[in-house]
Parts: sequence; C-alpha cells; structure tokens
Amino acid sequence: MDALLAFLTVFTQPELLLLVGLGTFAGVYVGAIPGLSVTMAVSILISFTFSWDVYPAISLMIGIYMGGVYGGSRTAILLNIPGAPSAIATAMDGYPMALRGEAGQAIGVTTVMSFIGGFVGIAALALAAPLVSDFALKFQPRDYMLLAVLGILLVGSLSTGSLVKGIFAGALGIAIGAVGRDPLTFAERFTFDLKLMESGISFIAVMIGMFGVSEALLQLHHVDKKSVRQTIDRIVPSLATVRKHLPLSMQTSTIGVIIGALPGTGGDIAALMAYDHAKRVTKKPSRPFGQGAMEGLVAPETANNAAVGGAFIPMMTLGIPGDAVTAIMIGALFIHGLNPGPMLMIDKPDMFWFIVGALVMANFFMLLFGLTGIKLFTKIVEMPRAVLIPLIMLLSIVGAYAVNNSITDVYWMLGFGVFGYFMRHYGYPLGPVILGVILSRLLDDNWRRAIISEREDLGRFFHGVFTSPLSTVLLVAVVLIFVSQTPLWAHAKARLARKDKA
Amino acid sequence: MTTPQTEHHDGTSDATPGGYDTERRPGELGFALLMLVGSAVLLWSAYGISGFQALSAPGSVPMATTAVMVIAALIVTLKTARLTLVSGETLARDILPGVVLIFLALLVGYALLLKPLGFLPTSALFLTGAIKILGRRGWGFTLGVALGSLVLIWLVFRIVFSVLMPAGIVPEAEFIQFFRTLIGGQG
Repeated sequence: MDALLAFLTVFTQPELLLLVGLGTFAGVYVGAIPGLSVTMAVSILISFTFSWDVYPAISLMIGIYMGGVYGGSRTAILLNIPGAPSAIATAMDGYPMALRGEAGQAIGVTTVMSFIGGFVGIAALALAAPLVSDFALKFQPRDYMLLAVLGILLVGSLSTGSLVKGIFAGALGIAIGAVGRDPLTFAERFTFDLKLMESGISFIAVMIGMFGVSEALLQLHHVDKKSVRQTIDRIVPSLATVRKHLPLSMQTSTIGVIIGALPGTGGDIAALMAYDHAKRVTKKPSRPFGQGAMEGLVAPETANNAAVGGAFIPMMTLGIPGDAVTAIMIGALFIHGLNPGPMLMIDKPDMFWFIVGALVMANFFMLLFGLTGIKLFTKIVEMPRAVLIPLIMLLSIVGAYAVNNSITDVYWMLGFGVFGYFMRHYGYPLGPVILGVILSRLLDDNWRRAIISEREDLGRFFHGVFTSPLSTVLLVAVVLIFVSQTPLWAHAKARLARKDKA
Repeated sequence: MTTPQTEHHDGTSDATPGGYDTERRPGELGFALLMLVGSAVLLWSAYGISGFQALSAPGSVPMATTAVMVIAALIVTLKTARLTLVSGETLARDILPGVVLIFLALLVGYALLLKPLGFLPTSALFLTGAIKILGRRGWGFTLGVALGSLVLIWLVFRIVFSVLMPAGIVPEAEFIQFFRTLIGGQG
C-alpha cells in the first residue's frame, strides 16, 4: 500500500507532474539536437538543482533521460545525424526510409516502439529491483568490489572500441576519485602537497568537463554543416504495423533491459546489439537492412528505451550505475544526502517507487510529445551550432561554478574538458572514467573492509571468494572478459572452429 | 557487432569511440606517451602514500589502479606505435584546428575574468565573441542573440534555480531589489 502511494506521488502532485513533463519535453529536444546529449544535460542540471528538494530534482532528470534517449532518433531519421549516441543504430535504416518519403511513418513507429521498450524496461525495474535488493543484502564487501570492476570492464569489452583503452579510462577514473584526503586514515592521496587538492576533485566538474565542454569543442568541427528539410505526414502507425513487430520488439526490449542492467553499459550499446540481433533473427525484413528496413528501427529504439529502466536496477539496488546517466544520478542523490544501495531500498522504499512512477509518467509524456509537436521539433533542431556551442560552454562553466561556488572547480572542469576532447579523438571511452570516479569510494572502502575482515591475508581472501558462489561467478566473469580480449581467445576459437570442420 | 563510423572519427559515445582500428591519428602516439608518463608519475605518487605497508593501507587501491594504468598505457603505446599514420589528416586541421584553439583561449579567458569582472559582463563578452567568430554574421545579429540568450539564462538560473554567480562590477542584488520594489512586493 505504501508502495502504491509512493508510486502515485508523481501523479498526485501537479508540481512534480509538471517537472516530469517539462523534463521530457526538454529531453526530446536535447536528444534531438546533435551536440547536446542527455549525459551532458543531466550533469549540468545536477549543479543547478542541488538547492532543490530531491523529488523535483529527480523528476526533472528522469524526464530528460527518458525523452533524450528517444529524441535522438528524430535527427537520425531526418538528417542521418544521430542526435544522441543511443540513436546511432536508428540512422542506419531510418534515414533510408526518410529518403523514400516515409519519414512520418518512421517517426511514428520509432515513437511507439520507444514507448513499448520504455515500458518493458520500467516493468523489469519494478519487478526485479525488490528481488535484487533482497539478494543484495547478502553481498559481501568483496562482491561489491568485483561488481565495480566488472562494470568498468564491461564498457570497454561490449563496445566496439578497445578494451585496454577502456581499462585505462576506468583506472584513471578510480584514481581521480581517490584524490584528496583518505576518509578513513586522513592520509593525503595524489595531492602533490597542494592545498587545493586536499578536498579532492569535484566529480561534477569532471562530468561537466568530459560530457559538456569536450562535446562542445568537438562540435566545432561541424559548425558549417547544414540541416536538410523534410516533409512529414502520417505519423501514427497502424495497429497492424505495431502488432507485426511486437515479437521482435519484445526480444530487443529484453536485450535492452539486460544491457541496461549490466553495470556501466547503457542505451547506446544496447541499441547496437539489438540492431545486430534483429539482423540475425529477421528472416524476411520488409526491406534489406540498411535500405530502410522497419525492423532496423524497431530493434534499436525499443532497446535503448528499455535500457533506461534496466539501468536503474543496479543503481537502486546496489548503488552501482547501470550507465553514464545513472552514474550522474547517483552523484545527484549523494548531493541530496542519499546513498543508493540495498539500504536505501529498505529505508526509503518511497524513493524507489517514486522513481518508477516518474519513469511511467515520462514514458507517457514521451509518446505524447513524440506523436504531436513534430513541426516545433524540426524548427528547434535547426538552431545554428554557432549559437548552440557557446551556450553549452557558458552553461558548463556556470554549472561547474555553481556547485561549490568555487573557481577551482571551473579550472578542473575546463581541464577535463580538454582532456576528454583528446580522449574522444583517440578512441578512449569516457563512460568508464565517470564510472570509476563514482565507484572509487565504493571500491576502496569495500576492498579495505574485505581484506581487514580476512586479517590482511590474501589466501583467506581468495578462499572466501571461492567458497561463495556469487563471488566466484563475479570473479570468473571478470577473468573471462579479460581472456576474451586477448589473442589467446581468438586462437582457441579458431582451433575449435577447425576441429568442428574436421 | 555492426560498427557505424563516427563523424570525422571523433567518438560521440562509448559504443562508438573515435580513432581508427588499424591506423593512428596525428598526435595519437604523443597522447599515448603522455598518458604513460602521467600514469608512471601517479604510480610513484601512489607508492608515496603508504608504500607496501599493508593490504588495507590507504595507498593500496591507488597503487593497484595506477599500476593498471601504467600497464594499460604501455600496451596502448606499443600498439599505437606499430600502426601507420592515417593519411590525409594533420594535427593542425583534424585534431586541433584554429577554431578549437581560439575557443580554448576564450574559455580560459572567461575563467580568469569571471571573478574580477562578474558573471554578466564576462558572459556578454564571451557570447558575443564566440557567436561572432562561429556565426560570421552582422553585429546586429550577434549582439541580439548573445545578449538575448544571456538575459534568458540569467533570469532562469538566478530566479528558477537560484544560482549565485560572482556579481563583480554589476550591482545585481540592488538591481533585483529595485525591480521587486517596483512591482510592489516587499522582496
């Protein structure tokens, strides 16, 4: 009963309802405008909403998250420019459809499928999270530590980039998170005897720099690109179309939930994997993939929105972010004095059910704004980058300054902005850095707790790991990810393949 | 997995990081070396925290992570060194073109001026300069857009989010008070 009341909070308070709606509306725009990403918007928003109560702040962020994941599809279809990373796969078949004059249909299907995917994700969250959190109480400190390591590794291994660079980025994040005085012993770490380093590096400065300024700097390369005008008609898809793609959408939603729920990996990776899955299982696509197959729209769009709900599962139950946006939300909850994890689920179940309610609401708003207001959206997407880029930079600086009223944070933010700019150019993923920064404390604390409880004995530590099924599974997963990326694995696979043939 | 090519090979997300698989971009090796040296310095610094005192010492996790950084950076450097330079890209055109450098200068200038000059004048200067450089439009357009959006941002953040920015030379508080009394409220 309490859960139901908490779930309904967002529906009964007009102010929260308005904020979710506003957030979703803004999110669709943020997603639709190339160069503005959800991660960027949410990290800048943290610093602006920290004086608010936690419910309104979270309402706004959830709206932006849900809307933003969907909004990227709009420009992917119309302009072949994914407005958000999660829409990269959408462009592959959406744009060919638009070229055939089926932009309206493509947008309609995308919207409805995002809605369906969103619901699958939310349902999975509502059903799975309470179970996981009960289970999570049995987690030992070492399990948290292993999970944190696993999350950082997963980004590098599931994306198309290099695992080594992902590992480097993750380790760097952990090191950044360790800067300052150690909370347990008060020893100085990485301070280089500088006074201003003692309190550590503000993680918000790191986030805004990496996702705000570095993205804005990157967009400078594309200032002169012109947008194309498209005519749009017939938006709402027929029931038959929806029904025809329902089986595929359920499969790809499941992929989305799982990828979303895996620590670290989010909608962008889920969408690409779902697209691959659709290519494998669809025997007779409406058109060949890459030339405007409806299935090529359904798969990524269901998956990326399903990943939203999925990403909240580890965030709410374990305090381990499911993707970059939930990593930032954990940061937001920290600021509001809340510590996501199994204890939050037990002490404040309201918070959890409130988030579920807000997600449901955001999903409805997304459907509403997606199927109406098309004209308005095409207008705003045409906002010239010459104006947009300076504005993002200004907001980044204001955002970095506002949290602690400190000019030092602005310098850190700019430093990480430039650093992130180079990382993007040279193929280093940014997600693991943020994950590392957020998980640094958790990793450090749990390692020390684990090893102290084993009386500083590594032998006993590993004995503990191998006598607990959970720890063993996690350790094996970590090791497997490593092995799967080494030449050894490719070698073994090739040998197996040869044996099969013989 | 299907690997979509990112625009201009600069990564927009973790799913599609930038760079090339089989070639290296201008400056990539330098960056890799810089990361290696940086990681080594951090490892040294981490060793200085508590050395090999105990497994639960404050320096253990930092030492482990920086050691991982050194190893990863070393592998990346060796791999990168073996790749051939991608043809047709130069550092000055594709990685650090003039406009990026100009914007970096603008950003640093903003950060330096923010405290002494205050938020409103600094931002006005920054936006006007930036939009003029990027938009290459007339002064009317530039000033209109820059000042218009600045007023909007200021209103939203000062009033809605109640963010306090350095006032500098503009008497912001008095200004707001003046309008409050003008509207008739007690403020």
